[in-house]
Amino acid sequence: MAPQLIIVLVFFFWPAITALRQSLYVQDAFGLGETFAGLANFTRVLASRSYHEALVNTAIFSVSVALGAMAIALLLATMADRVLRASRAYRTLLIWPYAVAPAAAGVLWMFMLDPTLGVLTRAMTVLGIDWDFRLNGGQAMALVIVAAIWQQMSYNFVFFLAGLQGIPASLLEAAAIDGAGPWRRFWTITFPLLSPTTFFLLVMNTIYAFFETFGTIDTTTSGGPGGATRTLVYKLYQDGIVGLDLGGSAAQSVLLMLMVGLLTLVQFRYVERRVQYH
Amino acid sequence: MAELELRRLRKRYAGGADVLHDIELSVHDGEMIVVVGPSGCGKSTLLRMVAGLETISGGELLIDGTCVNGQEPAERDIAMVFQNYALYPHMSVFDNLAYSLKNRGTPKAEIARRVEETARLLDIATLVDRKPRQLSGGQRQRVAMGRAVIREPRVFLFDEPLSNLDASLRVQMRQEIRALQQRLGITSLYVTHDQTEAMTMADRLVVMNAGRIEQIGTPMALFRKPATRFVAGFIGSPAMNFLTFATDDLPDWLTRVPADTTEPLRGELSVGIRPEHIMLTPSDAGHIEARIELVEPLGSESLVHVRPADHEARLVVRHAGTELPTAGQMTGLNVQGPFHLFDHHGQRLTTRPRLADTTCPMES
Repeated sequence: MAPQLIIVLVFFFWPAITALRQSLYVQDAFGLGETFAGLANFTRVLASRSYHEALVNTAIFSVSVALGAMAIALLLATMADRVLRASRAYRTLLIWPYAVAPAAAGVLWMFMLDPTLGVLTRAMTVLGIDWDFRLNGGQAMALVIVAAIWQQMSYNFVFFLAGLQGIPASLLEAAAIDGAGPWRRFWTITFPLLSPTTFFLLVMNTIYAFFETFGTIDTTTSGGPGGATRTLVYKLYQDGIVGLDLGGSAAQSVLLMLMVGLLTLVQFRYVERRVQYH
Repeated sequence: MAELELRRLRKRYAGGADVLHDIELSVHDGEMIVVVGPSGCGKSTLLRMVAGLETISGGELLIDGTCVNGQEPAERDIAMVFQNYALYPHMSVFDNLAYSLKNRGTPKAEIARRVEETARLLDIATLVDRKPRQLSGGQRQRVAMGRAVIREPRVFLFDEPLSNLDASLRVQMRQEIRALQQRLGITSLYVTHDQTEAMTMADRLVVMNAGRIEQIGTPMALFRKPATRFVAGFIGSPAMNFLTFATDDLPDWLTRVPADTTEPLRGELSVGIRPEHIMLTPSDAGHIEARIELVEPLGSESLVHVRPADHEARLVVRHAGTELPTAGQMTGLNVQGPFHLFDHHGQRLTTRPRLADTTCPMES
């Protein structure tokens, strides 16, 4: 069997099937026995208020992160493309954040925004903003969003820059001669020609926001205060690993997988139609 | 409809040397000017400066008497056909043609009418719903032309528009472009490196070399009376032959040395002879003895490459006879006029010598 197939089997299918099985059982507290429970885990999870809250948190968080990371990356890439069509140094500098582990990125921002020690906190105090993400749920959400955006932005930047450099300069020159100003050139030429990249990044960023931001949240807010930054993937971890509700956690992971799968499907069905492959 | 004037136009890149030196050119209303030169001579840069895609480092660019140095490309009311056509790949042919009109806020009905009219003019009416990738090279070329024509610009710019086409299509498109340009009477600047294209399309030719204009004139004037050795070698196909002689050691067949040059002749003298002005004669009977190196039959005529016995140069002879000489044989070369003399700077000498034993037609 092909080695990559073995890896997929061991690290994807096996855990996935285990989770699927586990979601249909209720385990005792000591892990000594389990009882078949049918869909009881699912109905319990779907009925709980904390799950609804996590769902809302995830929606706010994911949309903000995906849009924020892509918009800022596109802006930076456009500027970099215009100024330095060839400079590798600049590109490398902007890629660096991606090499930082999500947990480290979270800690970095936590320090800068620490209520008592943070550099940015001091600046905000001067501006009259009362900053304390440990008490204010909205501010906590802002913190994890900023940290996650900062991390993902560099990844998006690389792809956007590559996409921009693949657009022949003569097209934009022709558009300039045809009387289109910079803004119009961007929206009628650059943006449509960049749509394959944008679509790819939309899918990747959604997946990133749903799953990979776990480390960022865990090191900064741990889902707090009062569950304000508890996203689906974080709640799943808390219920399963901390709360030892394996069945409920497994049910959540199955639901999360279905959700992301569905979302990706929707993106392919409805968003991809607008993509200009050329 | 416009006149285009370039006054001492200069281009210098930041931290680099000048790439264009004091370009002087005035293009009359409705005239087709072809700028020709080897790659790297600055002809494309010149065109891009006129288009407004490159900044102007010095001098003035006037369209209809107004200085447009600081104007954006859109404000100059010019249209450009790019080498790679630069069609918008995500737009249909209709949208490609309509783009410039849309940008200028033309009413929808007017756009539809003009697109239809232009498509008909260029024979692409059946293709308007297609995307550029579904078109052949020639069709793309037509769409690119249509996009330039539709706006009825004051000046047309062409940046080697035929170089991506195959040879037969190139000949056809070159006639079509010329016919269209004459019909619409739009002042045009056409850049190419292909001298045949330049000769056949131009009202007047501009030959450029290393950032300078070598000569401006009608194709036939440049062919008959090239001002420099560079122009002589560039215009005409196959290229003109050159033989170099020291001024104090001229061969017998080249008796009279030009007298009325601005400075006394020194150093070397280049004699330019077109391939059609050399005849093959039996060995020992011509002016020059040479060995035949290569024979290229073209059907109605042949190109015979020869190497003179006492010269480094390799000459090409246009041989009209149907009997082909054989490579490796010795032959005599009979040099006939008209021919061209250049001093050691490559400048044309105004008076030509007379051949010793032929009465060659004097070309003035």
